[in-house]
Amino acid sequence: MADKRVRVERPHAAYFRYAGPGQLVAKPAASAPRSRFERQWLRAKAWLIGRPMASEEEIAERLPKKLALPIFSSDAISSSAYATDEILRVLVLAGAGALFISIEVAIAIAMLLTVVSFSYRQVCRAYPSGGGAYVVARENISQTAGLIAAAALFIDYVMTVAVSTASAVSQAYSVWPALYDIRIEIAFASIALITVANLRGLREAGNIFALPTYLFVGLALLMIGLGLGHIVTNTVPVLPDPADVIKPPDIVEEVSILLLLHAFAGGAVALTGVEAIANGVPAFKPPESKNAGNTMTMMAILLGTLFVGITFVGNRFGIQPTTEAGPTAIAQVSSAVFGADSPLFIVFQFSTALILFLAVNTSFNAFPRLAAILAEDGFMPRQFSFRGDRLAFSWGIVVLAVIAASLLAVFQGDVHLLIPLYSVGVFVCFTLSQAGMVRHWLKDRGPGWHWRLVVNGAGAVLTFVVLIVVASVKFAGGAYLVVILIPVLVVLMLFVQRQYRASERQLAVRPDYILRPIQREERAIVPVPRLNRAVIRAVNVARSISDDVVAVYISDDPDEAREMRERWERQVPGVQLVIVESPYRALAGPLMAYLDVLDRAWPPDKPEPITFVVIPEYVARHWWERLLYNQSARRFRALLVGRPHTVVVDVPYRRDEFERFHGMDAEPHPEGAAADT
Amino acid sequence: MADLSAPQFRRAVVALSGGRTDRPIVALASDVARLSHAELVGVHVVEIDWTLPLDADVAGRSEDAQRVLDIAEATAEGARYQLETVLLQARDVGAAIVDEASERGADMIICGLPFRRRFGGDFEIGRTIPYILKNAPCAVWVVREAMPEEQA
Repeated sequence: MADKRVRVERPHAAYFRYAGPGQLVAKPAASAPRSRFERQWLRAKAWLIGRPMASEEEIAERLPKKLALPIFSSDAISSSAYATDEILRVLVLAGAGALFISIEVAIAIAMLLTVVSFSYRQVCRAYPSGGGAYVVARENISQTAGLIAAAALFIDYVMTVAVSTASAVSQAYSVWPALYDIRIEIAFASIALITVANLRGLREAGNIFALPTYLFVGLALLMIGLGLGHIVTNTVPVLPDPADVIKPPDIVEEVSILLLLHAFAGGAVALTGVEAIANGVPAFKPPESKNAGNTMTMMAILLGTLFVGITFVGNRFGIQPTTEAGPTAIAQVSSAVFGADSPLFIVFQFSTALILFLAVNTSFNAFPRLAAILAEDGFMPRQFSFRGDRLAFSWGIVVLAVIAASLLAVFQGDVHLLIPLYSVGVFVCFTLSQAGMVRHWLKDRGPGWHWRLVVNGAGAVLTFVVLIVVASVKFAGGAYLVVILIPVLVVLMLFVQRQYRASERQLAVRPDYILRPIQREERAIVPVPRLNRAVIRAVNVARSISDDVVAVYISDDPDEAREMRERWERQVPGVQLVIVESPYRALAGPLMAYLDVLDRAWPPDKPEPITFVVIPEYVARHWWERLLYNQSARRFRALLVGRPHTVVVDVPYRRDEFERFHGMDAEPHPEGAAADT
Repeated sequence: MADLSAPQFRRAVVALSGGRTDRPIVALASDVARLSHAELVGVHVVEIDWTLPLDADVAGRSEDAQRVLDIAEATAEGARYQLETVLLQARDVGAAIVDEASERGADMIICGLPFRRRFGGDFEIGRTIPYILKNAPCAVWVVREAMPEEQA
């Protein structure tokens, strides 16, 4: 029996792996580039942002708390570097004596921080899929409230990038004035650097940003500890007046409620970035909600300690507010504690500048996640919900970088022109999320809902008051732009949703619709993005060409694939569906590889079959509508043209056809998609 | 962590039956092979009865046969090792495995043995493993799965 065996060729093995009956998983070779240009492009991309990662590696990309803290909290924690100055600059209007009230104001802001962070901790628990203020407001108040929160957050994230970058660059040219002329170029380069770091994936970004954040936190805590030691031992150094000190006016104001509110509003910039953790819950390692909640608490404790600590020590040391050109409050405190010539002072100042620069990263994490959630809800183009090669939401990252860089170019990198647009959005979100949580407790009435309701109610009122104060104080300086932009963005998002809803209505297949079997002769392959009218029409066209029709569904999500199969088998019986899992999220590569495998598997003694690739395509009416729809059909066509024994069949589905027969607002035809073919 | 007392080899043929022992033996073989950078070849044999010619298009069109090898390959990758896969058609599974091992110069054949009893209570070893044990020119490592709890 020694020679009684035959080796069987496995043509699919190079590209695919069977994972179940009729279910293939694409290997990296299936997504390999096919042209020289594509190869070079992919090589360059891999060099810049790293090798593509499979979807299953996403869990390993999730962040442990020690990395999540710096990545999501650098914005919030960095605000302790300038929030004290904002309070002092207001209080000085009531005379030098009023500066002592800064502790009370800081404590009040820390209490607001406690309420807000507590509320967001509840949000992390209640909404583990992330979304923060947007999801809370949408679920508990209304869709419009959710969109207002989202629009406000978008503005704030863009402003964080623009302001922080401009501010970090200004630190650089205050040391080396020659850099002033190339400040825009420096800003662009720094945004590009952060963009690339984020495109390389969450974990790598976390590794890059962890050290500077922890360095700042460690040194700041040391500075506060040493400062407290001086106060307790009564060895507070006598400080000379700093350069560019702001002197109290000749006619000082009274310490009125309005002045205190003004100071409170100024110091409340410390709260910017607090919501980022709630937006990014899915980025945490499991249990996501618990880890996000604990990170939120840790961030609030650190921020509160640093902010109140710096304000308290600064107050007891008698530091004074300065103009933009003078040393900041934190610089005065560190200089007094560490000594102006001490290396620790220089290291601390460097770490402060670095964390201000890294505050940008919080936006680069939160903006794309929020955009992805909105895209999944249909309020933004779907591209925003796609993960790139490194599992990051590449579209959101790139769009944020482009908008922020444009803003910097338009405003010529001037921090003072940008600042008035800042922080209004954050308080819109806080107010809406707190109000949303109030309604959540009223509906949910779970354990302890009474006291949670009171906390969130108080938070809603407080943040609303701060919002009014911040908006009115900054209105003329530029906040009016935010007040105009928020409704414009909301209208845009509603418009996108209307477009998607209209197309879904036109493409919908009735759940009880069953496709009848048709016997044909030729082989036809139909790449299907999902089950809709355009696909049904393409399948029918394929069946009119051949009796051997295979639909190929390329998916990166096994759950979606399972649902697709169930629905397909129920609604499109008799047409084989091959699910190709594509862990690298490539669409065109696995389809081409699958066609190659079919050809190789064909018996060599028979003539080559003609393969009809029937591509369903939803045709947009206007050029701008094309941005809203996936362009996979065009990519498939470009790759298939010229392929041997292959005929590409485009099956367009036009909106005009639907309207001509049914009218824009009509329900799908009772006969379902069968009426269309 | 691989058991350091496990047999060492340079090239092993892992006999894949398509049963529940495939994954554990591939994982085990990968762990051991990693220590000495040994070569692993997963072999699955589709038995062709005498009513069909040996080269009938059976295994090539069988998703089940392909899947046996694909799952083994994925299991090895999961254990951070590479497994070469071979699909054979033969009249006798044991003979095909022994021949393949001989031809490749393998110094080990690894087989999985599910725990099962035939009707009447005797332990059932089947006919493939005894054939390999009797005829293989190299060492044979038979890994029997654990006894089910209710029978232990």
